[in-house]
Amino acid sequence: MLCVRRLRSLKTALYVSVNPGSRSLTSEIIQMENPYKEPQKGCTLCNVTVDFKNIQLLSQFVSPHTGRIYGRHITGLCGIKQKEVSKAIKKAHSLGFMSVTHKHPQFMKDPNICGIKHLD
Amino acid sequence: MPRYELSLILKAMQRPETAATLRRTVETLMERGAVVRDLENLGERLLPYKMTKHNEKHIRGTYFLVDFYAAPKILEGLLDHLHRDVDVVRPAVLKKDEQAPKANCCVPEQ
Repeated sequence: MLCVRRLRSLKTALYVSVNPGSRSLTSEIIQMENPYKEPQKGCTLCNVTVDFKNIQLLSQFVSPHTGRIYGRHITGLCGIKQKEVSKAIKKAHSLGFMSVTHKHPQFMKDPNICGIKHLD
Repeated sequence: MPRYELSLILKAMQRPETAATLRRTVETLMERGAVVRDLENLGERLLPYKMTKHNEKHIRGTYFLVDFYAAPKILEGLLDHLHRDVDVVRPAVLKKDEQAPKANCCVPEQ
């Protein structure tokens, strides 16, 4: 009997009385867009048209020593653009616009887009 | 009519001969019912590799680009004619894309 009374008094002491008139935070959640969202990053050729005639652009994705086309893990391009660049380079090779085995010496000094460091 | 692009590599010749070859080519196009829209000169430059055509090795060449509208059935005959022309090193007819590239191509997957 006594312990029941003690329990009841404990309960009333611990129980936090809520004002029935006020609104609790959990009843209304305001829906909003993530304010810390970063702008979406596209690849380097996001809004650039790729053409087989533009050999300067295409030469940036080709090795200067062997003329081989760099892979996706080196160029950092998205799937669609990598395929477009690859197709354009091969077209330029066959139509006689771009060399197959080397990179044009005029374009050797171009800035490096691809994440590759040459040892020379 | 669909739109085509003729990428022409001519032998390195003097100006009057190049002009005569171009005139011949455009006249052939027009005879076959094509409508020539644009003619661009990409200049005379060193070819990326030595090209052999008509028993001759070519090192230098002049690049031209001809935009035209034509019926698809003339293309075979036209390419045949261009391959037989002694002054032309490498002819190629390509289709021109009418659509603009898609705007949201590089949306990263979430």
